[in-house]
Amino acid sequence: MKILIVDDDLHIQRLYKEEFEDEGYEVVVASNGKEAMEKFEQEAPDIVTLDILLPDVDGIRILRQMKEKNPKIPVIMSTAYDYRDDFAVWASEAYIVKSSDLDELKAMIKKLLNKQ
Amino acid sequence: MNIADREKFTEVIFENIRDGIVMLDKDFRIRAVNSSMGKWIVEPVSEIIGKDCREIFHDRSSICPHCAALNTFETGEPNVITQKGGSNDSPSFAELSAYPVKDETGQVMECVVFVQDITDRMLCHDEVLRLYNEVTQTKEYLEGIIENSADAIVTSDLNGLITSWNKGAERIYGFTKEEALGKFLPFVPEFLIDPEWENNQRMRNGEVLRRIETFRKRKDGKIITVSLTLSPIKNGAGDVIGISGITRDISEKKDVEKELVRRNQELSRLFFISSAMRGTLELERILRMVLTAVTMGDGLGFNRAILFLIDENRNVLKGAMGVGPSSHEEAFHIWGKLSMERKTLPDIMQDIEIGALKKDSFFDRLSVGIDIPLTEETILTKAVKEKTLFNIEDVTKEPLSDAVLVQQMGTQAYAVVPLVSRNKVLGVLWVDNYFNRRPITDEDMKFLTAFSNHVASAIENARLFEQVKLAEQELENIFESISDMVYFVTEDYVVKSINKAVSRRLGKSPEEIIGKKCYEVFHSMSEPWTKCPHHKTVETRTSFVEEVEDPFLGGTCIISSSPIFDTAGAFIGTVNIVSDVTELKNLRERVIKTERMAALGEVAARVAHEIRNPLVSLGGFAKRLEKRLDGGLKEYADIIAKEVERLETILNEILGFVKEARIMKETVNAGKVIEEVIAPMQAEIEDKGVVLVKEFGEPIEIFVDPNRMKDALLNILRNSVQAVEAGGTVTVKTYRKESECVFEIADTGPGISEADKPFIFDPFFTTKKTGTGLGLTITHRIIEEHAGRIEVSTESGKGSTFSVFIPLKNEK
Repeated sequence: MKILIVDDDLHIQRLYKEEFEDEGYEVVVASNGKEAMEKFEQEAPDIVTLDILLPDVDGIRILRQMKEKNPKIPVIMSTAYDYRDDFAVWASEAYIVKSSDLDELKAMIKKLLNKQ
Repeated sequence: MNIADREKFTEVIFENIRDGIVMLDKDFRIRAVNSSMGKWIVEPVSEIIGKDCREIFHDRSSICPHCAALNTFETGEPNVITQKGGSNDSPSFAELSAYPVKDETGQVMECVVFVQDITDRMLCHDEVLRLYNEVTQTKEYLEGIIENSADAIVTSDLNGLITSWNKGAERIYGFTKEEALGKFLPFVPEFLIDPEWENNQRMRNGEVLRRIETFRKRKDGKIITVSLTLSPIKNGAGDVIGISGITRDISEKKDVEKELVRRNQELSRLFFISSAMRGTLELERILRMVLTAVTMGDGLGFNRAILFLIDENRNVLKGAMGVGPSSHEEAFHIWGKLSMERKTLPDIMQDIEIGALKKDSFFDRLSVGIDIPLTEETILTKAVKEKTLFNIEDVTKEPLSDAVLVQQMGTQAYAVVPLVSRNKVLGVLWVDNYFNRRPITDEDMKFLTAFSNHVASAIENARLFEQVKLAEQELENIFESISDMVYFVTEDYVVKSINKAVSRRLGKSPEEIIGKKCYEVFHSMSEPWTKCPHHKTVETRTSFVEEVEDPFLGGTCIISSSPIFDTAGAFIGTVNIVSDVTELKNLRERVIKTERMAALGEVAARVAHEIRNPLVSLGGFAKRLEKRLDGGLKEYADIIAKEVERLETILNEILGFVKEARIMKETVNAGKVIEEVIAPMQAEIEDKGVVLVKEFGEPIEIFVDPNRMKDALLNILRNSVQAVEAGGTVTVKTYRKESECVFEIADTGPGISEADKPFIFDPFFTTKKTGTGLGLTITHRIIEEHAGRIEVSTESGKGSTFSVFIPLKNEK
């Protein structure tokens, strides 16, 4: 299973990559919106964790583009700030506030992948 | 009788006769005098013999025998004179008779004078003479009266045959004296012969009939009304020999009297209506009374009447009310019976309200629909503009006749009077006699005019009253419904009147407030509060507006106190308007708080990105590190990871607070909510040894976001549990109070200090070493989101009670 991690924080990129690889996933990373779409098309990930605040395009637009390419792709919005109320109708499958405790995120990924 | 006997006899007569006797010789010397003479002279009678008579009497007595004797001596004939003496008030009269005593040759030798007191006789004669004169005068006078009397004075014998006939009788009855004398009662109408004969019988019995009213027939056959007095005529023996009758023609008087009575009745009815009008100030009723008076048969007696009032806004004369039958049938069957006679005011009011005069009759509805623009030139508008009345005897001959009345009411003749009060025309009163076609007379018009003046002033009064009433009501409404407290306090601090807000705010009935000292009811003080604006106004007589923190009522008030002066300029008290600005102040503070929150929100989002990301990698790598390390280093890594988690929790609290959480409301049971709040705390409560008392009453349904509400209550409960020592009690209650559901959480902890109390809901305020200071702030926020409120009562050393009020579902 391939996970695409989109986050402009390189430490978080690395943390997630190492943790998920420990879990047995193949991990690709992207640091901005442009790169995220490239990787999305090239790598055809099974699941995406997507930050909202990106240096070039915001995560919401990336989400829409990804869903246009592959409507079935599960996307977990992973942000430092809880924007759920501000963007009520999202097409994402899940939403999580980043935490140093990755257990919740791991459980969420497992659940979404099992659904497919 | 021999000489001696004769002399003796003479002697006896001479001495005993009551008349005085004196004998005089030719020289008027007194030859002899008897003792009866003594009352006329001063000296004893024995001493005057031989003296000159003239010396004794003449100037010294009221009588003088010399005067009587003088003539007898000269003529030889007896002479009688009357002499008057005494005073004028009590005169005395004497008759002196002189008789000659002659010798053989016929010479008068001596004279005997008899003096007789005739005073009594004289006085009696005078009286008779006076009476005679009087009677003569009276007779002439009476004859004059009889002859010249305006009344007919007639006498008849007992058979009714006329025996005397005066000029008055000639004038009244038309018969001359010659025609009447000897005739049988020529003036008694045939139909009264029998009763007249009864009168005759009563006269025979000596009765007198005074001023009876009856009828008499004139010579020309006309019957007249007379007032008659009959008396018997008696002769000297007291037998009735005839009858006298004094008759006065009262036909004219009778007519005038009838007219007077009629007018008087009319007036009294109008007066009745007028006073009733003055008695009510209700315009509608007055109008109806007016029209009633105008149309009732024994009122002004018109068939129909309409009141038009001026509508100044629309510049029209508008039909305000109409009274009258709508058909001939109604006119004769119902209307004819209407009468004010023998009716009391309530009866008439009854008629006015529900009888034939009732409102909303066909005619009334027709009348109310009429609008006549004042710009038009018609009789009605002319009556208004020229303030004059009009009597239109034939509408076809009057070009300015009101077409609308002719067409809609079918009127053929009508009259209009303007209603003028204080020189201002209020409207016009229109009348006609549509049904009986009776022409409207000048007399009617006069009456109508007089009446219209009453009407106008009554209408004016009613209107003024209505305006005043309206204004008063408005004021009253404003006074009562104003949410600010408004009250009037006298100079000596007595509350005179209050509005509802006052009794609501003080929680007392008006009876408990009015009449009391203001400082007692408002501030619970025994003397005036020096900070009170009313107090200041009383002291200075000027207005004060101040924001005052009221120590008794609590809260902040803006109090305006203004002095009131009576018409004479004396200070009588103050009007106070108190706005409770506690709410406003709270609102103001809340706005500040919200602004602070918004600012905080921006900070939070930035903090989130700038701090959370490093924290995530910091904590995340520390955890990875921990997995790979052993011993002391593993412990260090663990400490880093734990501290990062703590920081993340704080960050979540802060961010969770500043976030506008979406509320997902649903209907839940308040008891279930609080149970779910208690559940996660159960372990801590038991561990600490806190006694938890639950008092959940009847199930209460509330419409809330259960998760948010749980967060809110949990913060309170956690604080309470943390506040109490082991063995302390926390009481959790839910109950319904009016339209709210109350969650009450009370603890027996140390309470909140007075200094801290205002800040407990402020963000970042905490008394706990490890608190974020956001718990109660979040609680407060959540409760506000649910349109609820939170109240805290606390007493140092005894504990605190937090009460959360949430509106009930159906109230939302």
